[in-house]
Amino acid sequence: MRVGSTVLLKEQLCVQSYGWNMMRPLGSLQGVLDSLEEYQCDEVAIIRPVRKNDTLSLFGQDLQILRKIKTMTPISFGGGIRTIEQLKLLKGLPIERVIFSSAFLEKKNELVTLAKDLFGHQAIKCLLPIGYHDGTVCVYHSSEEKYLPLSSVDTQFIDELANEVILFDMFHEGSRDQFDWSILSEIPFATDKLIISGGVGTSTLRIARQKKVASVLIDNKVLHQEYSIFGYKHA
Amino acid sequence: MSVDILDVGSGNIQSIKNWIEKANISTRVLNKASDIKSTLLILPGVGSAGSYMKRLKLGRFDEAIFEHVDKGGRILGICLGFQIMSAYSEEDGGVEGLNFIDGYVERLQGNASHNSWEPIYVRRDELEGQSFNRQMNLSKKRILDGRVFYNHEYGFVNKEENSFSIPVSDALPKYSGLLVKDKIIGMQFHPEKSQITGLELVSMIL
Repeated sequence: MRVGSTVLLKEQLCVQSYGWNMMRPLGSLQGVLDSLEEYQCDEVAIIRPVRKNDTLSLFGQDLQILRKIKTMTPISFGGGIRTIEQLKLLKGLPIERVIFSSAFLEKKNELVTLAKDLFGHQAIKCLLPIGYHDGTVCVYHSSEEKYLPLSSVDTQFIDELANEVILFDMFHEGSRDQFDWSILSEIPFATDKLIISGGVGTSTLRIARQKKVASVLIDNKVLHQEYSIFGYKHA
Repeated sequence: MSVDILDVGSGNIQSIKNWIEKANISTRVLNKASDIKSTLLILPGVGSAGSYMKRLKLGRFDEAIFEHVDKGGRILGICLGFQIMSAYSEEDGGVEGLNFIDGYVERLQGNASHNSWEPIYVRRDELEGQSFNRQMNLSKKRILDGRVFYNHEYGFVNKEENSFSIPVSDALPKYSGLLVKDKIIGMQFHPEKSQITGLELVSMIL
């Protein structure tokens, strides 16, 4: 099982988020990646936590930061890749894998298939911000700023096109060891295709190993004690 | 030592450039086949085999690569760039490769996806039969012992008898993780994203 970290990139700077909502600054992306690489973090998912009001201009500004990074750690990138025009801007970036969320929820077949041709099927990840909302497991549809019941999501479409699925527990993000494992009982994907994130701690890691998930992405609270990534890897 | 990185329109070119330049070797990123003039040509590879080969042929990169090899140049293929050096890949309904190495590429057994770090152990003296080894001058390092990052769904089945090959992992022994044949080296893993081991490897092979 891989042990990595999520890194939220908002307006060209890294931020720490609590509950997918409150944010505080963490510094430059290069500094954050250097810190994680120093302690052999297995992978980093750089996510732009954007909603409905994202624009091509804001997307482009964040890409300028991404284009400059120098890292030897595997990088996935996503957040706001909603059009073919945006996808083409990823050409040459130092990333291996691409993360889609709204594009999967809206079944943008042409966009995801083009990404598969450009990056390979092994590079396609689906991010599902997920959690219980009004007693039902819901997925947050970022580009429309609304919750969708998981039952209304075409999970077969996701299963066919995504190599791995990130389950991002949005209500426990930033907390310690509160990842809601009960969500998994509602998830139709194979466990070895799942990446767990949001509310991860050492106990979460032990359970994740027992369940044989593909990877665990520790919330970027790890950056206040980046050396702890080593401890997480051996939890 | 001069290193050219082939840019056929996809791939993490910037990461490859960063990796090579960590060894204080300058690189050129090429998007025209006629510009290849290096002693080492790197074929980075992400994407699907069908569209990658199509782009190679459209830009007449395939002819330029053959010419580079005929002139005695070395080639390093990474991930898909390694796979297209086979005779044939079953990806995208079947794709003819460059056929530099006797072998073929197939979907990993059990339709598995392999996204993982794996240990690697290479002794330099085991490469002595390959001419690639005679141009590895940057480091006196004799043993590489570390871990490398894999992200693939297809694997290279090597049929070449006079080559050096190590398997991807104990769980995937059928597929080559690292293969050296004459002046050609192929890596199924991503050395540019293999942290310290990637750095040690680049100084060993340049």
